[in-house]
Amino acid sequence: MRGKEWIRPYFHQHLRSFLLIIFLGACTILSASALMFTSGDLISKSALRPENILMVYIPVVLVRTFGTSRAVFSYVERLVAHNTILHVLSNMRGRLYKILEPQALFVRSRFQTGDVLGVLADDIEQLQNIYIRTIFPSIIALFMFVLTVIALGWFDLWFALYIGLFLIMLIVIIPIGSLWMTKAKQAELKQEKNRLYQKLTDAVMGLGDWMISGRASQFISSYQLDEENATVLESWLTRFGRWRMFFMQMIVAFVVVASLVWTAGEYATGQLSVTLIAAFALVVFPLMDAFLPISDALEKLPRYEDSFARLDALDNPLDKQVSEQGALPTKLENEVVAKAHEKANLSLEHVSFQYDSKEHAVLDINLELPQGKKVAIIGRSGAGKSTLLKLIQGAYTPTDGHVKINGVDAKLYGEEIPSVIGVLQQSPYLFDTTVANNIRLGNPNASDDEIQAAARQVKLSAMIEALPNGYKTPMHETGERFSGGERQRIALARILLQNTPVVMLDEPTVGLDARTERNLLRTIFDTLQDKTLIWVTHHLVGAERMDEIIFMEHGKIVMRGTHAELMEKYPRYRQLYLMDAPCLESE
Amino acid sequence: MSKSLLGYKGSKPVLASVAVLTLIQTISIILQAKWLAESISALFAGHSLEQITTPVILFLFAFLIRILSGLFQQKIAYRFAETTSAAIRGQLMEQLFNLGPRFARIEGTGNLVTLVREGIGQFRTYLEIIIPRMIATGITPWLVLLFIFTQDVLSGLILLITMPILIAFMILIGYAARKQTEKQWHSYRILSNHFVDSLRGLETLKVLGRSKSHVKTIEDVSDRYRRATMKTLRVAFLSSFALDFFTMLSVASVAVSLGLRLIEGDMTLLTGLTVLILAPEYFLPIRMVGADYHATLNGKEAGAAIDKIIGTKPDQDNCSELSESYSWTGNSELMIQKLRVQHDQASKASLDQINLCLTGNKKVGIVGESGAGKSTLIDVLAGFLRPVDGEFILEGHMLNSLTCETWQKQTTYIPQHPYIFAGSLAENIRFYTPGASDEDVENAVEAAGLSPLVAKLPNGLHERIGNGGRPLSGGQEQRVALARAFLSNRPIILLDEPTAHLDIETEYELKKTMLPLFEGKLVCLATHRLHWMLEMDVIVVLDQGKVVEVGTHQELVAKQGFYYELLATQQEVL
Repeated sequence: MRGKEWIRPYFHQHLRSFLLIIFLGACTILSASALMFTSGDLISKSALRPENILMVYIPVVLVRTFGTSRAVFSYVERLVAHNTILHVLSNMRGRLYKILEPQALFVRSRFQTGDVLGVLADDIEQLQNIYIRTIFPSIIALFMFVLTVIALGWFDLWFALYIGLFLIMLIVIIPIGSLWMTKAKQAELKQEKNRLYQKLTDAVMGLGDWMISGRASQFISSYQLDEENATVLESWLTRFGRWRMFFMQMIVAFVVVASLVWTAGEYATGQLSVTLIAAFALVVFPLMDAFLPISDALEKLPRYEDSFARLDALDNPLDKQVSEQGALPTKLENEVVAKAHEKANLSLEHVSFQYDSKEHAVLDINLELPQGKKVAIIGRSGAGKSTLLKLIQGAYTPTDGHVKINGVDAKLYGEEIPSVIGVLQQSPYLFDTTVANNIRLGNPNASDDEIQAAARQVKLSAMIEALPNGYKTPMHETGERFSGGERQRIALARILLQNTPVVMLDEPTVGLDARTERNLLRTIFDTLQDKTLIWVTHHLVGAERMDEIIFMEHGKIVMRGTHAELMEKYPRYRQLYLMDAPCLESE
Repeated sequence: MSKSLLGYKGSKPVLASVAVLTLIQTISIILQAKWLAESISALFAGHSLEQITTPVILFLFAFLIRILSGLFQQKIAYRFAETTSAAIRGQLMEQLFNLGPRFARIEGTGNLVTLVREGIGQFRTYLEIIIPRMIATGITPWLVLLFIFTQDVLSGLILLITMPILIAFMILIGYAARKQTEKQWHSYRILSNHFVDSLRGLETLKVLGRSKSHVKTIEDVSDRYRRATMKTLRVAFLSSFALDFFTMLSVASVAVSLGLRLIEGDMTLLTGLTVLILAPEYFLPIRMVGADYHATLNGKEAGAAIDKIIGTKPDQDNCSELSESYSWTGNSELMIQKLRVQHDQASKASLDQINLCLTGNKKVGIVGESGAGKSTLIDVLAGFLRPVDGEFILEGHMLNSLTCETWQKQTTYIPQHPYIFAGSLAENIRFYTPGASDEDVENAVEAAGLSPLVAKLPNGLHERIGNGGRPLSGGQEQRVALARAFLSNRPIILLDEPTAHLDIETEYELKKTMLPLFEGKLVCLATHRLHWMLEMDVIVVLDQGKVVEVGTHQELVAKQGFYYELLATQQEVL
């Protein structure tokens, strides 16, 4: 079965809790059954009109005990089960995080669509249910089955076997048979549902296009038709479930009759006390409560398959790059890293890189970046800019050539690279914690004063101080108050605290309007004056402030030089620059 | 709730037939208990098996009727829930198209999709459950109790007294649980979101060098989450504890009191057994309500959320003024008068007192700072948004909004991120004109500059793109939108910031592709990339929701006003 690696290990780890849950679950059912059993016994004994009330003293006590114990057992069982499962959830979260963490820089390119990370987190959340709704009830039912057969066997071996057969029908044959019968339909339904989900997402995202196209009503009726198809499948499954329940309940009725026949026979031959006739007849209904839900529980299993498939896929990454290229613990001495944290000279010598055996993503790049140099990189999507950044970060190893930081291979810095290179991402993530904590991520040891100083530098202090709780305002409560430019400023404050000699700017102004773009760039350049800057940009605003501008195409550098040199040498550059800033006195 | 249940179409016959079936079910429950008790007491009295054949068969028969009537109740409720929810889904979808893309952006695509897919499902489950449960709690316990009273008054009293105690405790505990959850809701939300928040921000953590040490935080927070959850559950589970406790205790009390009276000889075993078998049945309906509590709650909430969307009735448009064959030409004119757009009462108007005249095949540039109302104006022109106030005079027809299908069919809309549907490249290009010939599609591909891409794709025009298909770059997405526009060749083109996010080389090339498309059409282009303005016939400058300048590039530069200011800020050296 798929995904057993996400289920099985936790059995060993939490064995004692699991056993306790099964014990308590069995006790819950036993209490309910025993209440009816002893009640039957009690009133039968009473009906014999004993001389002394003390004759029924024990059954009275038992009835009262079982009358209260079920609620207690059931309550404790549920609490223990949830507590255990939350422990398991915690384990699984740690595990998922540890799998994803080394691939962090590749996650975005590997899962191109949608919120896969959110889906994975959700998958794990869902796996809790497999324990609570399927695994525990099934094991408890199995346990009750064994107990019932043994208990009956103590009275009469043949009758035990006979009832055992009925019970096997209820907990093995019908559940597995119906799982087998419904599997194809269930898979079909799931597929249909995914299709509907996709179709609807498409429609809502492309709502404007549907409206403009004038075909909106056409879409609605086609969607409703698809929904109807899914409904047909769903109704079939529901109907199947209903009739299965009907069939199983009829089995229960026959078990009641069987127990009547058996007790009558036993009583006739004198092997059973007369008071147990009612007891045996009454115990059947509550006892069967343990067995009836198993088919439903088992039927839920196929629902988890997608989750399992996604989680399993993580364990064996398809992408060779990811498995081989992830950051390793640094092999460098502390002084080397400490020195690079102060001052870093970068050099790229004939660097080439290719994914698998396809064409080169980056080809023969030479670049010298002594401490403090500022370079802009421009190119279309797919020109190799991102790959170049990853090579400098040491996340990829060049297939040819060398990337060196202070003369040492960038790759060797491994996980210490964030103390040398800071990155201002295109869409930096703001975490669901306070504003101060978000800034503090740059340096966990930063004092409140340092955080406020950083905020002042990025020109956010006035805005933050105006928030209801100032720096302690939770990020999500600031809602839309942080615009794109302001979010970048928070990220910039982090980088100031991180205080690395090199900063990469990975298209930080995409999506900002012209004025915001200019203001943000001004702040960036002013605050990062002494740093080495590697700036991937989509516009030419601010290009004048760079020491070198590099144009990339198909992994190669096609134009390079200072702004003045490029303006003079290349008409193409001139054209682009003019487009970015149309002159006041044009024409 | 029952009041609004009655509001759904066809609910009365459903309620009536479920009620009849419940009545039959309750009678068979009583008979089933009676005949089982008869069988047992006959055996007890020493009768042989043959002598109890009749009551046993009758017992089986009553049992069969009982589960069959339950089954038919479910069937009827299911069918009703299915048709009702399908109808509501239709209304909801229509309303979504009515409210338009701006509404979808505010509500969140994910939320809306979840509401239509899962919300409707939950609501259906709710309808399916609530009808039989409501009727069962209204009928079964009371008939059973009535019967028990005819058998044994004392047992009846015990059961009768238990019910209010039980309900009082449930309410009390429910109240306590809600207070508990409310008290820690805030910290609970952060704890439960922490993990997904960490995963989404993983890349950021990594580049900050914090990702390794974060494992510890995840474990700590998970543990706090567990403790917080358990604290809530300890109270929340008390309600089912109370349910269990009081029903079981009540049955036990009945059993003991029956026993004592049997010893006294005041009662027969048959009566005792009948009452004892019926006692759990008395509580069964309410226990089932308890078991389905969460499913009904979710469904009720989903229903409320759906109602809220369906309930917001937009103003009627008066599109009938416009003949269906209407078409924009080089001589057409659209007057916009006193247009005002305000998203809700509390917020500032995003467009106010807009007077504009769009004529013929002019190219109109719309500029302004962010928040000036550029996108809002384009959305109004595209008919995605109804103005609060103002009117449109189109060739002498007075319209209160441009949400008319006739108008929309004149327009092509190209946003910053055109949506690519999951499907083939050709299907995406044919989106506005599904019937277009292959040749026309190929011409559009050529005109939009997509040919090099198509040549590289393994399946050419039939390559799957969009979600689940081949990812396209921002520039390629724009070209797909352009190909759509070339193919449909509609007389009006509305563009909202079409190139701002692209790298400058791609932007330059796209501009060259777009200009021929603009020929002979009314073009409205909103952007902060001012280089476009050199190609426009007229420029509309917006500031804080108002039109502040209208004119050509030269005129506005000479005027040295808002437009000049915008240009100047982009000239400064950083």
